[in-house]
Amino acid sequence: MRKRFDVSSDSIVPDGLPEGESEAELMRQVAAGEIGGLEALYDSYHSVAYALALRITTETGLAEDVVQDSFMGVWRNAGRYAEAKGSVRGWLLAIVRHRAIDAMRRRRAGYILGEDGDEALPTALTLPDIWPEVAGRLDAEHVRRAMAALPPAQREVIELAYFDGLTQREISDRTHAPLGTVKSRMRLGMVALRDRLVGDVEDVPAMVPSANGKKGLA
Amino acid sequence: MPLTMTCDRIRELASGFVLGSLEPDEMIAVEDHLAACLEPHPEIEELGGVLPYLAISLPPVEPPTWLRDSVISAASADVVNRATSNGARSRPMPIAVEPRRGTPSSLQASQPGPVPALGQAARRQPVISLAAVRASRRRLTTWGLRAAAVVALVGFGALGASNGVIGPKTTPAPFYNIPPGSGSAILNPPDLHSQAAGLAVLMPSGHIIVYVNHLEPTKGNAAYVVWLSEGSGTPSKVGVVQVDSSGTGQLDVQNVPTSPRIWVYICREPSADVMVSTGPIVLSGTISF
Repeated sequence: MRKRFDVSSDSIVPDGLPEGESEAELMRQVAAGEIGGLEALYDSYHSVAYALALRITTETGLAEDVVQDSFMGVWRNAGRYAEAKGSVRGWLLAIVRHRAIDAMRRRRAGYILGEDGDEALPTALTLPDIWPEVAGRLDAEHVRRAMAALPPAQREVIELAYFDGLTQREISDRTHAPLGTVKSRMRLGMVALRDRLVGDVEDVPAMVPSANGKKGLA
Repeated sequence: MPLTMTCDRIRELASGFVLGSLEPDEMIAVEDHLAACLEPHPEIEELGGVLPYLAISLPPVEPPTWLRDSVISAASADVVNRATSNGARSRPMPIAVEPRRGTPSSLQASQPGPVPALGQAARRQPVISLAAVRASRRRLTTWGLRAAAVVALVGFGALGASNGVIGPKTTPAPFYNIPPGSGSAILNPPDLHSQAAGLAVLMPSGHIIVYVNHLEPTKGNAAYVVWLSEGSGTPSKVGVVQVDSSGTGQLDVQNVPTSPRIWVYICREPSADVMVSTGPIVLSGTISF
């Protein structure tokens, strides 16, 4: 039987919604073109969005552009948000991450793209935050502890993929680890992280024996 | 040759897929499989749910305060431009305006793209250049900060105090006694590629000063008209900004109504005599006290 992790019941994630305001109501306001809804959304999530943009772009000017474009993306596409598909925060942060990574890739490529571009998020990056039953009890410190508990090699590949937007092949080149090892580390790390966040730590093996009997895919 | 995917292979690739770190052909193959497969593949949503928590593992960082105003004024301009596109002859602001399909060309270049619903196969497409956007915003910020610094210096008495009237050919260096409690707004263009910039200062007495830079000189009877809105009802006309050949101009008006929050719009109207705005917004901002 899966054991639930005993987490604090009064943890508050950074940038919480205004008291008494539901995400659905907030998005209804934004979709209706009500500036107050966007203001509440910005006030709730601006610092986590900016932190993510800054972490990815490492440049304040670019991060500011990304945050503005992301909130405008939410403003103009609020009608596409469906409550059943997850949290507003998750949707917004997916947009921020996507735009930040794209900005960095364009900078690396050193080219200017067409003005009439129509940017679309890959499906994987629009996946929802699906744990409403635990989301309210997961604070930043808890998440950081869960990340810190991962084997360093697993944490590294996840961070390189999430914050630097590298593909598994690029991570393999960067870390000088075989591609298959990178894939395994990523899979094990994400599963372990999911289980730590939800609380099923007992069921996750720390390491998986390799073919030669040595432990250490992590 | 397209990759062949099985459900087991999908489960192996799920982590890389949700992180967006698979090779392009793998990403497409996974998307195509998920779109067609009858199995629910819960691992995709379960692992995808980890992503927002990776973001909040970072310590929050406060962005500069002007960024909020920039976002809100851009959205406000969006609403008004939608109303204009719908043929509205007045500009109630801000209101719940039903979005109209398609946008004016000046906004399309700056419009972030749509977010596809879960399950749709999405492909990356070109986007606007953030370098150009950042360069224009840096000009705006630099000019706005420079003008704000002048006003602030005057406010602290560093340049002395005397009243003056500024004409359209005078470089912004006003000698005004700016009292405490005055509000200000950096005025942004709806088109992020535009170099236009502006600054508005509203004093508690109702004395408003508006500076603009890099506006295209008008032709014929067209004029840049300044409107103020308190958030409901029809915006009020304040006056006309005359710009010189360099696109610089100022407006200085007494006795405008004050309010805790006032939206400022500068629109290129067909003539200076209009009493209801019908022209496109070229600059906008929110005066905060």
